[in-house]
This record gives sequence, C-alpha cells and structure tokens, in this order.
Amino acid sequence: MSYQHLIVERQGPVGWLINDRPEVRNAMNSAMRDEFADAWTELDNDPAVRVIVHTGNGRDFQTGVDVGEIASDGVGMERYRQSMEDFDVHFTSWHQGVWKPVITAVNGICCGGGFHWVADSDIVIAASDAQFFDPHTSVGQVVAIEAIGLMKKMPAEAVMRMAFMGSYERMGAERAYELGMISEIVDPPERLRERAQELAETVARNSPAAMAATKKALWGALEAGLTDACKQGARHLVSMWGHPDQTEGPAAFAERRDPDWQPR
Amino acid sequence: MNYETLDVRADGPVGWLVFDRPDAGNAIDARMFVELEAAWAELEADPGVRAIVNTGNGHSFQTGLDVKQLATDREALRASSRQTRDFALRMTAWHCGVTKPVVAAVNGTCAGGGLHFVADADIVIAADDATFLDPHVSVGQVSAFEAIGLLKKAPMESVARMALTGAYERLSAERARQLGIVSEVVAARDLRDRAGELAARVAEEDPARMRSLKQMMWTALEAP
Repeated sequence: MSYQHLIVERQGPVGWLINDRPEVRNAMNSAMRDEFADAWTELDNDPAVRVIVHTGNGRDFQTGVDVGEIASDGVGMERYRQSMEDFDVHFTSWHQGVWKPVITAVNGICCGGGFHWVADSDIVIAASDAQFFDPHTSVGQVVAIEAIGLMKKMPAEAVMRMAFMGSYERMGAERAYELGMISEIVDPPERLRERAQELAETVARNSPAAMAATKKALWGALEAGLTDACKQGARHLVSMWGHPDQTEGPAAFAERRDPDWQPR
Repeated sequence: MNYETLDVRADGPVGWLVFDRPDAGNAIDARMFVELEAAWAELEADPGVRAIVNTGNGHSFQTGLDVKQLATDREALRASSRQTRDFALRMTAWHCGVTKPVVAAVNGTCAGGGLHFVADADIVIAADDATFLDPHVSVGQVSAFEAIGLLKKAPMESVARMALTGAYERLSAERARQLGIVSEVVAARDLRDRAGELAARVAEEDPARMRSLKQMMWTALEAP
C-alpha cells in the first residue's frame, strides 16, 4: 500500500509509522486520516512486525487536525463532525484495535489532536526539546477525547490545566516525565529514532501472544472498576494457557537461549 | 499456625507478615500459597494488631509464583489455576479482605507476582536499592492482575512499559517514588524501622475509623 501523507516502513521486527506532512507540522487532513486507518491495520496484520513505533517527520510530531483543509474541501468538515459525534474514528492504534505494543516517539511539538496518539499508545518517549500543549480553547474549540484518554492514564490536574491554558502555556519533556505521561527523555533530540528502535527491539524480544493478551487486560482495565477489570483480566490471562509460548519461555530461560515465539 | 515460609508476629499494635524463603527470592511455593491466606486471617483476627507491615527477608521482597515448585504439587497447582481463572486469589491483604491498614516495605527485588503486594497495600515504601520489574511476557506469560491494580493507582504508561519490556527493564525505587507507586524511599538498613514507625503511627488512630476509611478508598477504585 502506498501513502501520500504517512511513511510506513520496517526495520527488523519494528514497524514504523511516520507522520509525513512536515510543511504543516504534520497536521492531519482528510486523506491522512484515512491513511492512518490503513497504516495501523497494515502493520498489525504483518506477522514480521512485532512492535510499532510512531513518530513525525520534520520538526514536530503532530499538531492535530488540519482545520483549514477540512473546513475548505467541501465534505471534510461534515464528515469529520459526523465521525466525532458517533465516535466512529479510526486514526489511532487504540481506535483500530491494534494489540501489538505501540511506542510513540514525540519529536518537537505535540499539540491539540496530537495528544490522541500519546493517550492511545502503550509507551511514550520524547526528545528533550519536545513540547506539549492543547490550544483547542484558544481557538474556540472543545477538547474532549484526547484529554479524556490522558486523564485515565495520568494525574488529571495537569491535563485540565493544559486544556484550560490553551496556547498560552507549554509543558516541557521534563514535566511530562515527572507526571508519568512519558517514561523517557532522549537527549540529544537527534537520537530519538535510534533510541525508539532500540527500545522497540527490546520489547520485541517478548512473547507476541502474551503481550497482546496483556495489552487487552490493561486497556480493558480503563473501562472497568478494579474487581471487574481483574475478572476480565483473568479471561485474557487464561487465554494463553496451552499456548506453546508458555512452555517455550521457561525452556529458553533455563537453556539460556532466545525463545522461539509462536505467532499470536 | 506453624509457618514455614513466612515470619508472622505481632510487635505491640503492629503485625508483621514477612516473606521467608530468602534462598528462592521469597517466591510463592505451594506452602506459602496456603500460609499467606492463614497469615492475613490471623493478623486480621488478632485484636491487638491495628496495622500490618509486609516485607521480605533476604535480597528480594517477593518474586511471584514459584512455578517450578508448584508444578510438582498437583493439588496446589490445581488450586492456584482455579483461583487465577476465577480471580479468587487469596494471596494479598486485599484478596483476603483485610480491613486493617497495610504498609508494604519493599526490600530488594519485586518482580512479577510480587507486584500484587505493592498494588494491594495501602502505603508502600521502598529501600533505595529496591527494583521493580514484570517479567511475565518474557517467559510467555500474561501480566494481568498486578498491572491492573497498579494502573488504577499510578500513571498507566509506566505500568504498561513495565509489563511490555518484561525482564529487560527495571524501575528504580526513586522512579517508583516519582510516579507515586511508592511514597518514600529510605536507606535499606532503615527500611524496617521506618515501616514499623509508619505502622505504629497509623495504629494510634481509632481502628473503626481506619477500617471505614480503608473501605471507602478501595471502594472508590471499583468505579469504572
């Protein structure tokens, strides 16, 4: 599949999804939005890809919806509004039900709708010069889905402050790290992709089937209270019983060799 | 009960539940699996005990199920499988419905199932050399209850990272403190004194009030 606004490539066991509209800070137009749906599915369906890294070309990671384009192409705005009303959206790995681990590597600015991919991935790292802010309210817009996703995963005050301060305040990588929004700062910033690849290869050493079930248990837990989440988690845990990886893992460990994992 | 794998005692108003299989990283074998439920019940029932400290002997706090040993004991394996499947585990204070405040004092390594005892305690402190990891997916296992418990109480990204990097990354005590997984890091040699001090402080409060406070807080985690 070929893409106009994204780059999809493979490097060993790692699939890369790269935002590629650097001239507009990787803002998402209608075409890019459709391409995201295809790109996530393509990487999820490729058995050679075990972990996915998402980053941006150019100075910035992502700056949300390309409002100018969506408002002016005749159909974009109506289509966009309808999809949001129905919450029938397909541009993040969570929307697309991707159960492979997803690492977001934030370069430069991540603002507004860019938070969708921070909220919806499993692991987030950022370049030391990364900046986060949510300008929605400063341009008369409401922020909802991205902020809700973030609030489920980190201290809510920081998310609400960003929502209310709009474009008049930015959060640096250091504060994002303190808050547990990201787990690693890469310095110098130029090393971001190298480090993301390295981290992804580490994650790729683990059982793909066990990671998929673990992801389902964790993301399912955001939908439920503690006891219900554990009961649902038990189902995902038990789903691995009898899978060859459950004997291969301990055997490889005992024999001090790399495990030969079976497909999910 | 005569414990072989745990050290269970009361020191004034503070009850101690200490994992005591130091040569096996305090991993839970068939015996400990049974003893844990009995120990929590004993400390819960003891009217003199008003707060409980949970820690480990040796270099590790707790490293989860001793799968190898469990596999040699058919009955224990069946029981642990059934309790896992039905989420009817009886290993932690939360599983066992303990109503008294529990302080976990993490000494050394806390791995995999050891995270149950971190997620399910009320207060968690750690020695400065403590480390946290979740190796399940590195040996083909799913991480579920421990990570779910933690993500209800701490930022999810770090919990997901720990679950997905498996045996290949560890969280330091200091990072765990930043993230609010633990609230205090002390020198290893001071860990037990500090845990005892915290528990004794909590034990000075009215037990009935502590009980309803604890119940209220944990009930709050049951909302979606």
